[in-house]
Parts: sequence; C-alpha cells; structure tokens
Amino acid sequence: MTGIMPLDDVRVLDLSRYTSGPFCTRVLGDYGADVIKIEQPGTGDPARALPPFYQDEPGLERSGIFLFLNTNKRSVTLDLKSERGREIALELAASSQVVIENFAPGTLDRLGLGFDALRAVNPGIVLTSISNFGQTGPYRDWQGTDLTLLAMGNMQGTGDTDHEPLKTAGHHATYYPGYVAALATSMGLMTAELTGEGEHLDISIFETHSHSVDGRLGRTLAYQYNGRLVGRSGMAGAIGSGIFPCADGYFGLNAGAGLVQRMIRMVGREDLLEHPDWSTVAELSKAERAIEFQGILIPWLLERTKEEVRTECERFGVLGGPLNTIEDLFQDQNFQAREFFQEIDHPTTGPIQYPGFHAVLHRDEPMPERSRAPLLGEHTDEVLGELGIEAGEREALRASGVI
Amino acid sequence: MTSPASNGKRLPLEGVRILDFTVVWAGPYCTMQLADWGAEVIRVESVHHFAPQTRGLIARPPQEFAENSANQGGGYPDDLLGERPWNRGPYFNNHGRNKRSVTVHLGTPEGQAALDRLIEHSDGLIENNLPPNIEKQGITWERVSAVNPQMIMLRVPAFGIEGPYRGYRTWGNHMEALLGHPVLRSYPQLSLDYAPMAVPSDAASGIGGALAFAMGLRQRRKTGKGLMIEAATAENFVPFLGDFVMDYSMNGRVQERLGNTHPTMAPHNVYPCFGTDRWIAIAVRSEDEWASLCKVMHQLGLEDDPRFATMESRHEHRDALDARIAEWTAIKDAYWVMERLQIEGIPAGVAMHERDVLENRQHGARDFWRTISHPEAGTQRHVGPLWRTTGDNPGEARHAPRLGEDNDYVYKEVMGYSDEEYADFERMGHIGMDYDPSVA
Repeated sequence: MTGIMPLDDVRVLDLSRYTSGPFCTRVLGDYGADVIKIEQPGTGDPARALPPFYQDEPGLERSGIFLFLNTNKRSVTLDLKSERGREIALELAASSQVVIENFAPGTLDRLGLGFDALRAVNPGIVLTSISNFGQTGPYRDWQGTDLTLLAMGNMQGTGDTDHEPLKTAGHHATYYPGYVAALATSMGLMTAELTGEGEHLDISIFETHSHSVDGRLGRTLAYQYNGRLVGRSGMAGAIGSGIFPCADGYFGLNAGAGLVQRMIRMVGREDLLEHPDWSTVAELSKAERAIEFQGILIPWLLERTKEEVRTECERFGVLGGPLNTIEDLFQDQNFQAREFFQEIDHPTTGPIQYPGFHAVLHRDEPMPERSRAPLLGEHTDEVLGELGIEAGEREALRASGVI
Repeated sequence: MTSPASNGKRLPLEGVRILDFTVVWAGPYCTMQLADWGAEVIRVESVHHFAPQTRGLIARPPQEFAENSANQGGGYPDDLLGERPWNRGPYFNNHGRNKRSVTVHLGTPEGQAALDRLIEHSDGLIENNLPPNIEKQGITWERVSAVNPQMIMLRVPAFGIEGPYRGYRTWGNHMEALLGHPVLRSYPQLSLDYAPMAVPSDAASGIGGALAFAMGLRQRRKTGKGLMIEAATAENFVPFLGDFVMDYSMNGRVQERLGNTHPTMAPHNVYPCFGTDRWIAIAVRSEDEWASLCKVMHQLGLEDDPRFATMESRHEHRDALDARIAEWTAIKDAYWVMERLQIEGIPAGVAMHERDVLENRQHGARDFWRTISHPEAGTQRHVGPLWRTTGDNPGEARHAPRLGEDNDYVYKEVMGYSDEEYADFERMGHIGMDYDPSVA
C-alpha cells in the first residue's frame, strides 16, 4: 500500500535517550527504517519524565516530548550493564545496519558496546554518536544543556542590543544536531554499502551550532573580513526592517535599501520614489531615512490586521510575516489546506494532532501512516522472539531485571 | 566527474552531479553539505538575473551600503566592494565552497536547450525559489523527468509547491513568525517587538533538504526510477516546535515569551559578566548541581536561604535567585566562571561571539577549521565538515566559485558543446563573469 520507502531495508539499533538521538531516529523511522529503541527496564528513556505531560500529570506514557519523538519505533527494555543484556544488544547490532547513541563520550566503550565491539559482530555497521562537544578534545567531558550549548554556539548574536542574549525556544539545541546525525547516518550508510566497511560518525552539538547557517556561519567569516562583531543588532536599523505593531498584534518585515521600493508602493507612497531623497540606494541606506519611513509605515500597519498585512505583502512581493502563536498555526489556512498535522491515537491521550512529515515523496503511493510512540517495553517479547530467544528464557530475564 | 572536496578521498557522494538553483541561505546550505561530502554541485546562474541575498543584497551596491549595512547583506572584506561585489560576500563565500558556477540565460530558446543538456547529464536538481517563479523558467518535475527519468528533484519552497501560500514570498524569519517561533522565544519582560531575529529554520531546512536528497538517491537505487521530493521549509521546521505543538494538542495550552526560562530548572539563565556585553549561561539540573554551585558561590550564602531550598522553590523565586547570581557573576570573567563551574560538573557556557568561536580551544583541538583562499576575497578560516568519520573525511575545500568561474568546464565537459558552440553562447550573452549592466 505505502510502496517502497528509502530505508525500509535498514534496521537501526537505537541506544539513545532524551532528545538529540531520538530526534535522529524519529526521522530515520519516517523514511521507513525499523527502529528498535532500547530502554532501561523500569524507568525507560528519561525523556518519558520531561514535560509537557498529558493533562499536566507526570507518567511514563504521558510526556508530550516522548510521544512526539518516538513515533515509528519499537521499544525493548534491556539492561545494558548486565552481561546478557550486552550480549542481546550485540545480537541486535549484528542484524542492524546502524547504531545510534548519545551517551557521554566513553560510556559505550565501558559498556563493552564501543565501535570495535560492534564491528567485531558486524563489519559493515555504522555507529552514529552524538555528544555535547564531540568524542575528543579538552571539552569532551564537559556538561551542557540546551541553554548552555546555544550560548556557546554564538548566542551573542540573538536578542536585543540593550538586553541579555536569548536562547531559541524549546529543545532546538539538541533537535538540530539530531537532524544532522540523521544526515550523517545516511552518508555513512552510503559509504558502508559501497565499501562493506562500517564507520563511526562523531557529531558534536557544539560544532553543529558553530556551523549553523542561521546567521552564525556567515558572521564568523564576515568578522574575518572586516573585524566587526555584529552583536545583537540583527537587521534593525535597515529601512523597512523590524517588528512593528499592527491592528491586532505584531508583524515582522524586512526590506533594506535594495528592496524597500516594493514596500513604499505597498503603503501607497510611490510618489516618494520620484524624490531625490528616496530614489537611490545610497539615500535609502541612511539611518535617518529608515526612521522617517517608520513614520509612514507604522500608521499604515495600525489600520490593518495581521492577515490584511500578510495579504498585501504577498501581493507586492514584500518580505514579512505575522507574529503568530501555536494556536494561530493550527488554524492557519495553508497548513489546513495541505493537511499538514497528523492525528495519531494513543492509549493515554486518545487521538491528538502531531506535526507532519519534514518532507514528502511525490509518487503514486501516499506517505505511510506513522505508528504511535511505543509503551515502555511494548515490543520486548516480539523483538527477542525474532532473535530466537524463547519464552522461557524471556521469563527468566524478566525475573532477573535484564528486560 | 570530479568533486573539489574529494582530493582523492573516498566520499559517499562521489560521482553524483547536482544542478543547484538555490537562493539565500536554506537551499545553498543544503547543497553545501552535499558538495562537502563529494557531490559535484553546479550552481546554475545568469548574468541577466541577480537573486537578492544570495551573492549579496544587490549586485552593485553603493559604498554607503557596504559601510552602513554591517554584516547583513554587506560584510565585504575591509568594507570594500571591489570590482565584483558578488564574489566578495561572506554568506555566499561560506556556503558556496566546493561548488561550481555556470551562467546560462534561461529566458532564451538556446538557454533552455542548454538546460536540457544539463538535466540529461545530472543526477539531481535542487531549488528553493518561490514556486511560480522557478516554474516560469521551465523548471518543473514534468519537464525534468521527461528529459531524465532518473533525476532526483528536490524542491524546498517556503510553504509548499501547492497550497494557499504558494506565491507568498518570505525569508526564514517571516516564515518562523507565522509558525509561532518568535513569540515563543521572546523576552518575558518585554513587548513582542523585541522578539529577536533568528533563523534556525534556514539551517534546519538545509539539513532536512540534504537528508531528503540522500533518501532520494537510495530510493532510486531500489526502484530504478527518479523521484521528486518536496521539503517545504515551514513543514520541515514545525517539528522543531514539537514540545509546543504537543502541549497545545494535548492540553490546549498556548505557550509564549519563554526567553531563557525553563519549565522546571532554576537557576537557568544568562548572567552578565565583567566587561562589555559578556554573559554566562548557567543551568542547574539537580540538587547535587545546586549544592556544587552554592559551594563555588559560597560568599552569597544561598544554601541557607529557604526560598532556594528545592528546585521547585528556586523556580518559584527565580527572579530573586537570578539577581543574586548576577551579583556574583558581574564582577567575574565569563571564561573563569565557565571553567570553574565545568570543573564541578555544572553546565555553564559563555555566550560566545565570532571571535570567541574562532579562538575556541575545543575547536582548535578538534581541527575544526579549514583555510580557504579566495581569488577576490583573500584567505580566511572556514568551518570544517559538519561531522567527522573514522572513514575518509573531506579534504581541503575549494573556494566558493566566482560568478561563471566554471563556464568552460561545464559547457564543454558536462554539456559536451564544441569550442565553436561555446563561442556562440559567448556571443549570445550567456557566458560571463560580470552581471549585465542592466542588472541592478
């Protein structure tokens, strides 16, 4: 029904927890991979304890972050510190193409599941490791959170000049490197399939942020070009650029001296374009012109709603967007028309809406349905059974806390 | 086929040729990843058209613009435009590395014929333009797949190839605004017009696009057929707001203006340090980490204050707590605080700027930088590949191509035109390293 998917012949042994690794394997699952998620017996992935919770009540099957991050996965409880647990993990690695982990560097080796141990059972294995600062270097063992990792990734450029630098909302600092890890894994798989030799991929969260094209990448080169630290100025000061009030909220706009002509037409002042003060890029680059233009722009905006301004922007090719809330996003005409959000049922929450696919394959068959996040250990018997571990041994393992 | 990044290394995308019609940041960052890992990426450009914010904001800005526009659209070496400003912009010269540039005027029949040849001899085509605009140039899946059924075509529109916003032009920050991101990341204490400009969606789109393309190649190997993939920037980014989507979807809650706060942790903020505009981020995840922090900040006596006894009570009194911690950090060097707290195992990080990142000892120890010399912009350090492998890593990178720098190679060796035909293209104004004087 759903046709061939790019990774439907790939099994991923997912040893990762919290956010970065699970974001990676969630994406690989979307592309068809069979993701086997290993969780600590009893407590499971610590992300199961992260808010927000369904109805604000904590519980192993109630974390919104966990439910979001773990669609299309099978959950197996396994104590990796036990000898039999380690053996079972290696058996799973032997039948997998990819292993993903985000333990502190060195942990996997201590568990006897490092790259050499994996390669011994499966020479073609791709091991993808995500860590705060990478597997080597003086910061290797340093601690990090979303906040501190974003700070180190040139946070100095985000925020208002007269206030403190700001982080990016939510878990972006770790979701993003998880996404990078999915890309790296796809490249590692290509090489492994070509050569028969596996690889160990080392993703440093710190490096992915120093690398990011969201302004930080270009600024690092610009600084070498002209010795200037941009700070938190953004595009503020450029003509027709900033966040401005409108009738029912706020609206973000960008123009600058090269593109402001369209905005001047949008606000009905094409007459200005004939005036010497307004008709050259040199004049439009002046700070006083930007301030003067605000006196024309803001009254125009205050007479219009966000949606009215947006429609005018679209009509005149002006760059801008309304400052919406998540609720506005759910009601937005474009996402509704494209049926972007997906309803997924779950025993705790009932059917609720999830974000849709990052990308869509255009072909005759529809994209496959996603399965909900697994309950803790939901697939332990199924997966161990596939390995040929009989019910009797499974009972014994359960009794001794290995699964 | 040759890949500038390979230098004899065995890279996963060796032998894959991609036509690159990308603009601004998201699309070029996608093809940068593919070029880094061995693909031959050919930027198809035109001397008759300047795509704003790709090779700069405008083709020939006045000197005033170069000096007043800081690093947004400007940022030229020594603030000088040079003879060809489009070869000197910091953004293009970053994400353009390892790529080639050919100029073709697609608004002519012979330009369209040349495009057919390019499509015929390539594996992929990637674009992130306003859908109606790129389609007007004849770049559609119908045409591309008719010329080359093996093609992987990746389209990265802002909101979708189809749908109400198909013709709605935005940059990443406007698209993010519509998705709700600036409202979430704003200052709790300030009105929304202070919401910072930040475009994590461009970076995410670059990664998501490169991944989708890699998946397309794998799919082609399995099905024997080409494929079009659509990775709309907006849809690619909403999952990064998964926490907030789920809270709304499960609980009907609309979160906003979170700033540097955390739902449970305290302390969790950015604190001023000694010097101008220096800040340290500190996050305390457990009572053990709190005890360690109190030990380092022993002068403050916070361990005895009942308001700060538990995570919950610290969170409740976080404004008072932040004020006390700021007293302590304000007279200290940000790096000293970071190193001192990391010794205790407490997450702490300096809010770094460009110079900090360039001088960082972790980056240095991991050989993060690549030196690239550009014929019109000099020699600088650039970021290395986005990850390391125990297999072959990319070698030295080639500079971002000057406009039309690879015309000779692409027309003759890729498209197979003779010297005579090349001369015809030259005469007809397709080939050049300068924008036509009519281009603003």
